[in-house]
Amino acid sequence: MTDYEVIIGLETHIQLNTVTKIFCSCKADSWFDPPNTNICPVCTGLPGVLPVLNKSAVEKGALLAAAMHAQLRPLSFFDRKNYFYPDLPKGYQISQYDQSLAFGGYLDLPMPASAGRPAYVRHVGIIKLHLEEDAGKTKNVGGERWTDFNRCGVPLVEMVTGPDLRSADEAAQYLIRLRQLLRWIGVSEADMERGQLRCDANVSIRPVGATYLNPKTEIKNVNSIESVRDAILKEVERQIREVEAGHKIEAWTLEWDEDKQVLRKMRSKETEADYRYFREPDLLPIRLTEEWKAEILSALPELPLERRQRFMDAYELPEYDAEILTSERRLSDYFEQAVLAYRGDPKRVSNWLMNEILRMLNERGLTADALRLTPTYLADILRLVDSGQINTSTGKSLVEKVEATGKSPQQIVAEEGLAKVSDDAAIRAVCQEVLSESPKEVEAYRAGKQTLMGWFVGQVMKKMRGKADPTLARQILEELLS
Amino acid sequence: MELCDTPAYELAVLLRQKRTTATEILNSCLARIEAVDGRPGTLEPQPATLPEDAGKVHAFITLMKTHAMQQAQAVDEKLAAGEDPGPLAGIPVTIKDIFCVRGAPATAASRILANFVAPYTATPVTRLEQAGAVVLGKVNLDEFTYGSSNESSAFQPSTRNPWNPERVPGGSSGGSTASVAAGEAPLSLGTDTAGSIRQPAAFCGVVGLKPTYGRVSRYGLIAFASSLDCPGPVARNVTDAALMLQAIAGPDPQDATAANVPVPDYLAVLDEGVRGLRIGLSPDYFRITYPNPETGEMEEQPVPEEMTAAVRRAAKLLAEMGAEIVEDVPMPNTRYGIPAYFVISRVEAASNLHRYDGVKYGYRTPDAQNDLRLMYRRSRGQGFGPQPKLRILMGMYVSAAQYSAQYYNRALKVRSLIRRDFDQVFDRSGRYRLDALLTPTTPTTAFPMAAVYGNSVMMQYADQLTVPANHAGVPGLSFPGGLAADGMPIGLQLLGPDFSEATLLRIARSYELATESDAWRKVKPKVLR
Ligand SMILES: [Zn+2]
Repeated sequence: MTDYEVIIGLETHIQLNTVTKIFCSCKADSWFDPPNTNICPVCTGLPGVLPVLNKSAVEKGALLAAAMHAQLRPLSFFDRKNYFYPDLPKGYQISQYDQSLAFGGYLDLPMPASAGRPAYVRHVGIIKLHLEEDAGKTKNVGGERWTDFNRCGVPLVEMVTGPDLRSADEAAQYLIRLRQLLRWIGVSEADMERGQLRCDANVSIRPVGATYLNPKTEIKNVNSIESVRDAILKEVERQIREVEAGHKIEAWTLEWDEDKQVLRKMRSKETEADYRYFREPDLLPIRLTEEWKAEILSALPELPLERRQRFMDAYELPEYDAEILTSERRLSDYFEQAVLAYRGDPKRVSNWLMNEILRMLNERGLTADALRLTPTYLADILRLVDSGQINTSTGKSLVEKVEATGKSPQQIVAEEGLAKVSDDAAIRAVCQEVLSESPKEVEAYRAGKQTLMGWFVGQVMKKMRGKADPTLARQILEELLS
Repeated sequence: MELCDTPAYELAVLLRQKRTTATEILNSCLARIEAVDGRPGTLEPQPATLPEDAGKVHAFITLMKTHAMQQAQAVDEKLAAGEDPGPLAGIPVTIKDIFCVRGAPATAASRILANFVAPYTATPVTRLEQAGAVVLGKVNLDEFTYGSSNESSAFQPSTRNPWNPERVPGGSSGGSTASVAAGEAPLSLGTDTAGSIRQPAAFCGVVGLKPTYGRVSRYGLIAFASSLDCPGPVARNVTDAALMLQAIAGPDPQDATAANVPVPDYLAVLDEGVRGLRIGLSPDYFRITYPNPETGEMEEQPVPEEMTAAVRRAAKLLAEMGAEIVEDVPMPNTRYGIPAYFVISRVEAASNLHRYDGVKYGYRTPDAQNDLRLMYRRSRGQGFGPQPKLRILMGMYVSAAQYSAQYYNRALKVRSLIRRDFDQVFDRSGRYRLDALLTPTTPTTAFPMAAVYGNSVMMQYADQLTVPANHAGVPGLSFPGGLAADGMPIGLQLLGPDFSEATLLRIARSYELATESDAWRKVKPKVLR
């Protein structure tokens, strides 16, 4: 049996999170709004209206292009893509064709180690990146076709990868990394279920070692990363089955049925449609001056994969920690601020973040920047533990208390008397009490059952409600029992 | 003189001196409409023709009488209260039915938009209203502005030439120029894509200005060819045209292509004369070049002698007033204006017509309920007249992937060559250093009804002297230059560099003064005799 290589290219549509639409002043996001409530003469294509470009869409598009390492064009143009559809009120979509906002670009996709394969990096090239307006939505309701124009004119970036992905897992990883990046640089909410990140997958197979490309099928209507993976796996299976049976793969367009987990044929792809592109005469070209470009790029942060690497190099964090801490920009900022304030071992900050802080964020549905427990307070707590002023479990409870009250850790320790008792005499008294109350255990210990020491310490701690310095308690107990 | 025949700038003075009221002016115009306009254009007039149609102008599609009366009253109240009602206060104005006016039908003279009522108002109309003008109604045009005679309107009877109702008023702003020539309103708002203001202005003996592309906002203008369309004033004299341009010009946040260039005071410089101005005459504007329909070979015909003579006489008068006349100015790419226009305008028009699909507004076929594609085809097939269909066919053809390099991209190159012709002769440090070119507006006077309709190539060649300004984006002004032997008006055209409207108006105003006492100036259009 032949071994096959899977060839995948992804075509994504990214909804930019501008306040208003790309060519009018209607509200851009209508997820929570009833149909046809965020519309105006411009986005519904009434006779005589003209588009006016929303600068913010250009800025967000340019930021994304830069984050994808694409080249920004100093001069780019809008073009009309002409076709008929009821959800397209002008009968053409304003898009960009041959001179789009940016060209080139790539994402170096880290693939984690998996069964039988070490970790590796997949270089994914970007072959198309342009701005365009979204169309509306139609649905069939009891024999009628209903149209919702709310989405008309919502700004999109269309971004297409080369046929560079080699498995369903890589495709899923690409989308995970893209979603992370979009949120990280703040250009899109990138929620696939809300259509803010949409993906069509082009899939073909070829014998391992071949360099040609076979006809591909296009999978549409997949609205989660899991579905993209499942749909590709199903399609690869089908293609292998067909080829093994001696059939040819035809260039179909397939639709993913989420409920039934099956692919359905939408249409055969005959010849490419002719959209009769020509320059949009109602809009001026986009002139991205050096000044404007510099202003836009000044908002470009360190990218998640770069930061992940830096956390591993500079803070000597394990890859696992670095991955989690850079999953989201505000969390990674929090981590770094805490490390800076703490000045101790970054791994210790990481441990606390990944255990205590992440749990709190998840439970409360918060982002790191919204915490009352600031990075400085977290560093304070760590230092209190390190210096022996409080023990670890007190430290952990402090995390909750600071978040609940907004008070500084020091203040809470003082007010609640949480500091460890390091007074030799006070601990000695409790130790004697414990020993006199436990004659059997004392006898057993003296007979050689040394492991009981932990139990004695525990009893002391219990009596002192955790405030005793356990090291000191052990010393005193050993002295009294010897 | 009746109020309706009085120039707008004089009406403004009379009104401020309380020697008349906006309502009186309006009533005078309404009386004139009643007397000369006949029945308004409708989709299927019953009966199709009436004997009394013959001598009427038929400028209107929608007369907005109540609306106009309210506006006139509001002006009178402001005047009574001592408030400033604006520079165009109480001046009735007709609007080419290609602009949206909130609450009024915007038909584009097409069946496909016959039932469309605009929910918003076009920027130039808003500006006219803000200046106090009284919007009198919507006037006829060629369907979607596609034509040079008004006859292609789906709303019949189409507009006739007030100078001779057997003749066309020109087009596509024929309703605008006829309404102004017949004294139905002192001003009208038209559009010019290849000469659609200037050609009918010449045919009807009025002043028509195509401003620089971007000088007047296109917001609310139902698009024909977006990169060529220019809204502009139609008036009976140069001063009125300047007054109206002053009101409608300027940047507009709703039109990205509206120029961010300050608007000068057009009236202030109007009477500064022509001394020292360099005005060019080009042999390329004294001939028409067209392909022989049988052989395809390019052929040339001189513009008729009486048109040339009118231009030469104007040049002589301007020279006497101190202008410097520069002869033999080469404009070699003028001849390619029409073929390039055929391609560019049709590509844009076909795309602009896509939105009329029967889905959202406008005409929807009654006989395709359950098939989307069929509904598209029938709605458009039944809704569009022959002119839009021709433009869709040609536009789709020349923009198809396999042909666009051969036609569309080539036409764009020709367009930049035409622009270069103008750049060279207007270049301040070039050989010609012109302030303006003086040309005939049209090769002929208004043609008889039905003479050219049906042969759309020949009708389009009537635009050969006007279309270069649209390609280049430069302003063009047509103004009356006498009467031809057939008794019809002759139009003279001035073309200038970008944003030189003030200069063009100044030159035309000087000519107006020099010919003030000419006998032809006393002749009235036939419908008013
Ligand atoms: Zn809108």
